Amino acid sequence: MKKNKTGFGYLLNTIVIILLFTAFQIITGIFGSQGSFKLVVVPCLWQCCYLIILAASLNLVLGFLGQLSLGHCGFMAIGAYTAALLSLACERAELFTKKEGAVFILILFGCIIAAGLLSALVGLLVGVPALRLKGDYLAIITLGFGMIIVNIINNLPFCGQDGLAQGSAAASLYKNGLGFGSKDKVAYIWVALLVTILCLTLMFMFIRSKYGRAIKAIRDDEIAASASGINTSYYKVFTFAYSAFFAGIAGALYACANATLSTSSFAFTNGGILNSTFVVVMVVLGGMGSITGSVVAAVIMFLVNYQIKNGAWVTALSASVQGVFEYPMLVYAIVLIVVILFRPKGIFGTYEFSLMNLRRDVKASLARKSAERAERKGAKSHG
Amino acid sequence: MKKWKLLSMLLVICMVFSLAACGDSAAPAAEGGEGSSDEPIVIGVISPNTGALAAYGNGIVTGVDLAVEEINAAGGILGRPVEVIKTDDQSDPTECLNAFNSLVSQGVGLIIGSATSGCTSAITDAANEEEVCLLSPTATADSITTEDDYIFRACYADSFQGAIAAAYAKQAGYEKVGVVYCAADVYSKGLFDSFSSACAEYGVEVVASESTASLDVQDYTNQFTSMVTAGVDFVYAPFYYDVIGPYVVPQARAAGYTGVIMGADGYDTTPDYVVEGADLTAFNDVYWTNHYDPSDTSEKVSSFVSAYEAKYGSIPSAFGATGYDCVYMYKAAIEAAGTDESSAVRDALADTSAVYECVTGTFSLDESGTPVKGAAIISFVSDGSAVTSKLVDVVTELP
Repeated sequence: MKKNKTGFGYLLNTIVIILLFTAFQIITGIFGSQGSFKLVVVPCLWQCCYLIILAASLNLVLGFLGQLSLGHCGFMAIGAYTAALLSLACERAELFTKKEGAVFILILFGCIIAAGLLSALVGLLVGVPALRLKGDYLAIITLGFGMIIVNIINNLPFCGQDGLAQGSAAASLYKNGLGFGSKDKVAYIWVALLVTILCLTLMFMFIRSKYGRAIKAIRDDEIAASASGINTSYYKVFTFAYSAFFAGIAGALYACANATLSTSSFAFTNGGILNSTFVVVMVVLGGMGSITGSVVAAVIMFLVNYQIKNGAWVTALSASVQGVFEYPMLVYAIVLIVVILFRPKGIFGTYEFSLMNLRRDVKASLARKSAERAERKGAKSHG
Repeated sequence: MKKWKLLSMLLVICMVFSLAACGDSAAPAAEGGEGSSDEPIVIGVISPNTGALAAYGNGIVTGVDLAVEEINAAGGILGRPVEVIKTDDQSDPTECLNAFNSLVSQGVGLIIGSATSGCTSAITDAANEEEVCLLSPTATADSITTEDDYIFRACYADSFQGAIAAAYAKQAGYEKVGVVYCAADVYSKGLFDSFSSACAEYGVEVVASESTASLDVQDYTNQFTSMVTAGVDFVYAPFYYDVIGPYVVPQARAAGYTGVIMGADGYDTTPDYVVEGADLTAFNDVYWTNHYDPSDTSEKVSSFVSAYEAKYGSIPSAFGATGYDCVYMYKAAIEAAGTDESSAVRDALADTSAVYECVTGTFSLDESGTPVKGAAIISFVSDGSAVTSKLVDVVTELP
């Protein structure tokens, strides 16, 4: 009986996703060449896609495994550089000359998967020694690791200005075999969406599997979990590597969305939205232990970041508010403070949005609210 | 409980607004339109106004504002007022591309930006694809501009800047030189490459080269000790102002190095970053190449410097000067094209015979879109109480 229900859930989600996907493809077909769709909507979707994967993958470690990692952008950097350098190598070998055709799509997916695999491998290497530690100590180790990655990439001779074996190391990789221009971004938006959906599905399946239950048990009580026969270090390292795999894929999408790569984008001191602290912020904002929460939080953080800098409505605001908006970091801080003050468990808490259970969840939530209200009234009349 | 939350929220908002009030509230984009029924000419500016390189963005924005104010006061371009839309890239390539896309979707066809080579390279392909003119004030990496594209700049390229330093070493009679640089940075590494290849050409031998892990390390003692051991009297050290003032020069002298230290345009604004109470005579015998010399007495430079000082109360940095120049280069190109349509302006800018009379020199652009102009060689002079700059030479052509 239960199995049938799960099967039905997957079916329902697949149908809805296919419907949305087709609708989106039709919209792209109609508006694809128009200015604001091409220049604003599609690049934003690309950025949302990699931020969603990044935040959701960190949630596996932070929310479900309960370990604080501050070096997640390091894995993303590995993925981005792997995909960019591999595709450049293919371009140099003249496996593809134009960004179209079956061969290019094959190379594209090959690069994305290779990026994930290399990140997972590095995640494994880092995870084995690092996950012997807990809490603050692990946070510091991963923080250091993030910095090490950036410095290693800076000093690798083949990660130079023009890529693979062209010139010596520098902080920027100017050319990027995958880097899509505005038109290509529209043409290949389906890649970003498809990869995001696949990654989220894989993460969901992981959480619902035996592995997911095991790591939640470790999060809740490590000693009890190991007493029940769970090999805690195995599950911890596995989750870490699994999470790094998706961070690498997010990096590959990042490489696609940018014509150039710079290690400073992944550094801990990056002033923009893309740094390891901000990914942690996204996870906390969305709710630790909710993949859908991370999706929503990533989109919200992206929109806040994008709108305060580029939104047309900003000019309509009063001068003092605009003055605040000139310092984007202040605005993120306010958003975070508001959420943590009024909803410490994050937007979603541990709740997972589900189409199948939506009606039931809404009903339950309304019932709980009215019960609370009644209780408060009761308390007042008594007091 | 709820009251406390609201109170803390209120405090947070107060704090944020007071912080924002401390920062200079940017003047709204130059409003034009008085006495002219024509549509304004819109120029977009992308610069790092916040983040690690905010000083550069600030320089560019102030320079652009000053130029636009002057142009509008004098009746605009082709009788039309000029309007500026400013965007912030936080010196991050992704944000730079976002800012670019947002400007283009608002219909802007003429863009000034961005300050660093890393950010600018993120939008060069997009500018060509969208057929939008991109004029960078200070992106010096060689690969930024190529032939037959929409990308131009108002500064010289790194290959020229490094060679100037090598030529100076040769001219001053140094046979053996050393280099301290950062292999992990585009700017520092690019200058090292051009300096060492020019040295080979001029017959100057690079006998010692030492690298640092990053651009912001705070200890250079070992590097300069090995310079002393190698017995050189001329060291090329391309770094930025934030380490030159407090660390590089004092530590080099402390390590017993007494020869010449030479740098590039990153040394600009160093006198503002020296440590108070330190022995400032260490800054004698420090030379650097720059886009212009603020103490130049020519009419163009002195009127720019005095106008800038009157408006902002400080000496303009090279970023202010090149930002100012960018606006006037667009003005000249728009007037030559007779329209502000981007492909026509591009053709006007690509005309290699056009001569621009700017603060950073009188020059024309080469086929790739890089100015053919000289560099000012400037030295720091200190009597122990303050560090001042002194023009040594203006080099217009490589020997």
